[in-house]
Amino acid sequence: MPEETILTDDFLRELMNVGEVDILIGVPTFNDAKTVPQVVQAIRGGLLKYFPRQRAVIINADGGSKDSTQDLVRAASISDAAQATHIQALRTLHSISTRYEGGPAHGRALYTILAGADLLHPAACAIIAPDSVNIQPEWIDRLLGPVVRDSFDFVSPMYRRHKYDGLLVRNLIYPMNRALYGKKIREPYPTEFAFSTRFGSYFFGQDIWSEDVGSKGTELFFTISALSGGFRVAQTFLGDKDRIDHAPADLIPAMRETVGTLFWSLDRNFPAWTADKPPEAVPTLGPQPQVSQDTLRVNRKRLYDMFVHGVAELEPVLGSILTPATLEQLKATAALPEPRFRYPDDVWTRSVYEFAASYHKAVISRDHIIQALAPLYRGKTYTFLAENRDAGAEEVEQNVENLCLEFEREKPYLLELWDGKK
Amino acid sequence: MTTGAGVLTSPSSSLISVQDALWYKDAIIYQVHVKAFCDSSGDGMGDFRGLGQKLGYLQELGVNAVWLMPFFPSPLRDDGYDIADYRSVHPTYGTLDDFKSFLQTAHERGIRVIIEMVLNHTSDQHPWFQESRSSRTNPKRDWYVWSDTDTRYRGTRIIFLDTELSNWSWDPVSKQYYWHRFFSHQPDLNYDNPDVREMMWENMRFWLEMGVDGFRLDAVPYLLEREGTNCENLPETHAIIKDYRARLDREFPGRMILAEANQWPADLRPYLSPDEFHMAFHFPLMPRMFMGLKLEDRKPITEIMQQTPSIPDACQWCLFLRNHDELTLEMVTDMERDYMYDEYARDRGMRLNLGIRRRLAPLLDNDRRKIELMNGMLMSLPGTPIIYYGDEIGMGDNVNLGDRNGVRTPMQWDGGWNGGFSPADPESLYSPLMLNPVYGYQSVNVKSQERFDHSLLSWMKGIIKVRKSTPVFGRGSIEFLYPANHRVLAYMRQYGKETILAVNNLSSSAQAVELDLKRHKGNILIEMSGRNIFPRIGDLPYLLTLGPYQFFWFRLRKI
Repeated sequence: MPEETILTDDFLRELMNVGEVDILIGVPTFNDAKTVPQVVQAIRGGLLKYFPRQRAVIINADGGSKDSTQDLVRAASISDAAQATHIQALRTLHSISTRYEGGPAHGRALYTILAGADLLHPAACAIIAPDSVNIQPEWIDRLLGPVVRDSFDFVSPMYRRHKYDGLLVRNLIYPMNRALYGKKIREPYPTEFAFSTRFGSYFFGQDIWSEDVGSKGTELFFTISALSGGFRVAQTFLGDKDRIDHAPADLIPAMRETVGTLFWSLDRNFPAWTADKPPEAVPTLGPQPQVSQDTLRVNRKRLYDMFVHGVAELEPVLGSILTPATLEQLKATAALPEPRFRYPDDVWTRSVYEFAASYHKAVISRDHIIQALAPLYRGKTYTFLAENRDAGAEEVEQNVENLCLEFEREKPYLLELWDGKK
Repeated sequence: MTTGAGVLTSPSSSLISVQDALWYKDAIIYQVHVKAFCDSSGDGMGDFRGLGQKLGYLQELGVNAVWLMPFFPSPLRDDGYDIADYRSVHPTYGTLDDFKSFLQTAHERGIRVIIEMVLNHTSDQHPWFQESRSSRTNPKRDWYVWSDTDTRYRGTRIIFLDTELSNWSWDPVSKQYYWHRFFSHQPDLNYDNPDVREMMWENMRFWLEMGVDGFRLDAVPYLLEREGTNCENLPETHAIIKDYRARLDREFPGRMILAEANQWPADLRPYLSPDEFHMAFHFPLMPRMFMGLKLEDRKPITEIMQQTPSIPDACQWCLFLRNHDELTLEMVTDMERDYMYDEYARDRGMRLNLGIRRRLAPLLDNDRRKIELMNGMLMSLPGTPIIYYGDEIGMGDNVNLGDRNGVRTPMQWDGGWNGGFSPADPESLYSPLMLNPVYGYQSVNVKSQERFDHSLLSWMKGIIKVRKSTPVFGRGSIEFLYPANHRVLAYMRQYGKETILAVNNLSSSAQAVELDLKRHKGNILIEMSGRNIFPRIGDLPYLLTLGPYQFFWFRLRKI
C-alpha cells in the first residue's frame, strides 16, 4: 500500500500540529456513531486519570463512515480554544480523524494509525475498538501501563466472555497459535491491544500491506509477529466484553481473516514455529479470564446438518486436502446420529494440521481450502456446544486446555506433513 | 521631582516626564534589594550610595523604574518586611540624605523609584507595638488586633504554613493573643482604628513629598478582619484603599500604587480601578508560564488569560518571572502544584511554603533559549514587566541559605574580589556569594557579559530596547490566536494603528505553525529585532517555522 495514499495533506497537517507524543491511541471506525462517543470519552477519561502528564493523541482511522463518527471522535479534544473549563487537564489533548481509501478494512486502519505513530514517536500505543461499549477508563491504564512502566512490547487483552462467545478462537486459533508459536495468548485476534513504538515500527515496516493480511486479519498477524519476532509480550485483563448486535458475521469471511491468516503466517514464520520449545505462559496482569454462563439458545441441529452435508458434498475436495486415514475418520464421524455425534479433539487437530499443510502446498486453491474447513469447524462447534452445555467455568476451561494440549502433542505431525513425509 | 503640591521641582536634566500620568504602563521595572546590589562602605552590606553608583548600569540596561525592597530600620527577621520605623533608612543602607541623593540621581537618569510600603503589619520591635503590648490600657493598645482567645476568625488561612501554626500568638507581656497573618514577629495593624489609617497615610506622604514615584503596597488583602469571613479582600479593605488613592491623586498626581495581592484574577479585579490601584501583580500567570514551558503546551497560559478579566484603561497588570519570594503555587490546582514541584523542585530543599525558592536561570536549567523565551513572553504579554535583579545576567541560587535568602545573594559585578559587590572581607558579607562553577561570580557577572554582544545581558538590553520602541506592549489590547499547533503561543497586540504579532514556540523542538491572519491580509510582517521583512499575508493560513524555544515579534505594516 503506497504511503502517500494514507497520509493525506490534511492528516499530515493534523499530525504536524499534534507533534511528538508519549501516548497514541488509535480508534478504527466505520459508521460507529452510536457507540464511539462513549468509547472516546472513556479513552479521554483514562488518559486524564492515569496519564495526565503525558502528551497524548487519539487518532481515528475511518473507513468511510456515512454518519457523524469522525466528528464525534474529534469532539473528544481538549484545547484552549474550546475552553472546556469543566475538564481538569494539564495539557492539550488532540483527537484527530482521517479517512483512508478503499472502504472499511481493519488492516488499513491499523496501517494508517501506525503511519501516524511512525511520525509522532509515541512510547506506547493502544488500539481500541469503537464498539467496545464496556470500556472503562481503567482499560487505558491496564493496556498501556505494561508498555509504559514495564517495557512490554505487546499487550494482549483478556475478557470475561460468554462460554459460547469466540468459538473460532477457542477451538482453533488459540490452541493452534499457542502450540505453534509457544505463547499462551488467549485473545490472539484482539480488538483492543497495546504496543511499544519499537514493535509498532517493526510491524509497520513489514512488507504485508499490499497483501490480503494487510487488510483483513491484520490484528492476528500483529499478535503472531510479536510472538515470532521475540518481542516482550504480556496479557491484561480488561473485564466484560459484550457482543454488539452487528449483522451476523458470515463464517467464510471470518475464517479467511483468521484461519487464512494463521495458515499464511506459517510459511512466513517457519523458523519461529518450528523451534522446539514448549508453550509458556506470558505475564498476565489481573485475574485469569473467566467465562460467563448465561442461558443462550444455540441451534446445534443446524450445525450438525451442515457438517454432515458438508463432508458428503465436499468429499472430493476433502480427499485432496486430508490424508486418507483422517478422511475415513471424518466420514465415520459424519455417519454418527446426532445424539451420539462428537468430533473428537484428536481428529479435529489432525484435520486442522492437514488443512494447514495443504494450504502450505497449495494443493488446490488456498481459498477453497479455507472454505472447505468451514463445515468441519461447524462439526467441531457442535461438539463444543454439546460437551459444554452444562459445564461450569472450570470445566469449560479444562476442555479448552485439553484441546490445546492435543494441538501441542500433534505438532510433530504437522512438521511431518510440512516436510512432505505424509 | 514634584513637591507634595505636585509642582515640578526636578532639575532640568531629569528625563522624567511629569506629564505622562500613565508612565507605569510603559515602565520596565527592575526589582532590587539595596543590601544586595552594591556595597560602597565596605561593611559587607549594600547601601544607597552603592546603588546610586550603579544607576548608570540600570540606565544602560534600559529599565526606567526601580522597585526597592524595604530599606527601613528593621530587625531584619523578614528581610525588612518587618519594619520598625517607617520614616527612616536602615543605618547599614545609609542615611535619609543618601536616599534623597539616590532618588535625585535616578530621576536625572530617567529612572523612577518605587518603594515598599508594608501596610498590613509592623515588626514586633516597632515602638507602636512595644507601646501597645506594654499594657491593655495603653493608648496604642488598639493599634493592633488583640484577643483573649485564639479562636476568632477561624476561617482564615495560614499563609506561612512551614513556620506558623496559627494566625494568633500569645503575648506574655500583656497576656492576650495578637493577630498576625505572616510571621508571629509581624503583628497586624488594626485598620479599624482611624488613627492607624491616618498615621500610615502620613508615612506615605513622608516619602511622596520626598519624590518617590510610587509604592508597592505589601499584603493588601489582609488589612482587616471580620468574623465569618476569610479575612481577605473585605469591602472595608477596599474602602481604605480608595481613601488612600483619593488622597494620592489629590495631593500627588502622577504617582502610582501597586498592589501585592496573591489572589485569583477575579478577586484581584476590584483592586484594579481608577479609584484604587494603578497596578497589581498577576500572580496566577507566572507559574503557568513555567508550566506551559515544561509541558510544551500553551494551554495553561491561555486558560489563565481567558480567566483574566479586562481592566480599566488606566490600570495595568504587573508581570514577573521571579522575585524575592518563592515561586508561589498558591494560585494553582493541586494537580498543577504537584506537577510544578516534580518538574521544578524535585529536591525538597527547593520547596518553601506553597512554592519554589529558586531563581530564573536554575529553574530553566540555565538554558539560554528558555530564558530568552520566558523574557520574551514577559515583555510581550499585556502588562508591565519586572526584572528581578541578577536575572538579567542569569544568576543562580543557593537553597542552602534557608528561607528565601538563596535568591537574595549579592549582585555579581565582576570576577574579582567579592564579585565586585563589596570591598569587605568575604566573611563579613551579609550573605555568601555564589561560588559554584556554573553560577558563581567568576562565571556569571556583569563585566564579562558587557564584553560580548551575544551575552544574556546584551540580549536583555536588546529586547528591552525593542519593547520600548512601541507603546503597544504596555498599552495595547491582546487577542490570542489559537493555531492547531498547541506548542505555539501566538497573540496579536494592538494599540492605535499599530499591530504586533507575537509568536512563541514553547517546545524544545522546531515547530511549524499555521496562523489565521486573514483579517490582516495585505500586511507584510517585519520582524522587530532584525527588522527583516517576511512574506505578505494572503488568503492562506500564514505558515511560520520556529526553532526550539524561538519567538518572533512582528510589526504589521500595510505598504
